Amino acid sequence: MVSLTYWSPIALIIALLVLLAITFIFRSRGEERYKKGTAQTQIFLAGEEPPEPEKRHVRAHHMYWGFFQALKRYYEPTINAHTGIVNDYLIWFTSLAALTALIVFVAGLL
Amino acid sequence: MGLNSFKRALWVFHLNTGSCNGCDIEIVAALTPRYDLERFGIVLVGSPRHADVLLVTGPVTRQMESRLKRVYEQTPDPKLVIVVGSCGIEGGVFYESYNLVGPVDQFIPVDVYVPGCPPRPEAIIEAVVKAWVKLEKGAEEKVA
Repeated sequence: MVSLTYWSPIALIIALLVLLAITFIFRSRGEERYKKGTAQTQIFLAGEEPPEPEKRHVRAHHMYWGFFQALKRYYEPTINAHTGIVNDYLIWFTSLAALTALIVFVAGLL
Repeated sequence: MGLNSFKRALWVFHLNTGSCNGCDIEIVAALTPRYDLERFGIVLVGSPRHADVLLVTGPVTRQMESRLKRVYEQTPDPKLVIVVGSCGIEGGVFYESYNLVGPVDQFIPVDVYVPGCPPRPEAIIEAVVKAWVKLEKGAEEKVA
């Protein structure tokens, strides 16, 4: 029997489910009148055409050009993974949280 | 007529497509304590994505044509458009300008026109009320 302590995978899974439920509640209370796939779901930038999500952010990495050049082989795949889209980060976070929970859960059973 | 079907306060987005600011000042006057539009729940919002009504002032300049269309497309349905001032209706004193591409209704459908140079705040308030009644009728039909 796994006890329900701070590091218990069951507690983590319950926390994840609670977070998902809160997210679902927030999402379900959003504006229903928007038509998907139209300009109504695009961000409003004073009437300007919104740029691609990757180009909406101020980039600070120019200050570290030397580091990036020296560690190019490491940084290139890492930078590609950082799309700047919150959804992507949440997918990473959720997947890794689930994987970690699974590992901890299996380790707890052994 | 009761306002029972359109169950929320009316939110308005103000868009200046090339106005001289005369009409814009009158819109602001409609929000001052003398007229106090906000007591009816009618407020100006900062994004067309939150709006029910577009309040457009001024003739459409070349630079504003695409912006006007985009703002209209970004407003969720059901939506209404009110044109405030003679310039937005037929060009007004700027009708011969090289930099105009036409009145507002050449680019987006307009529901209520408020003529005047500039129109008085009472006229703007009446136009907003007409737009609200039109939205109410649409909501009633949807309910029925």
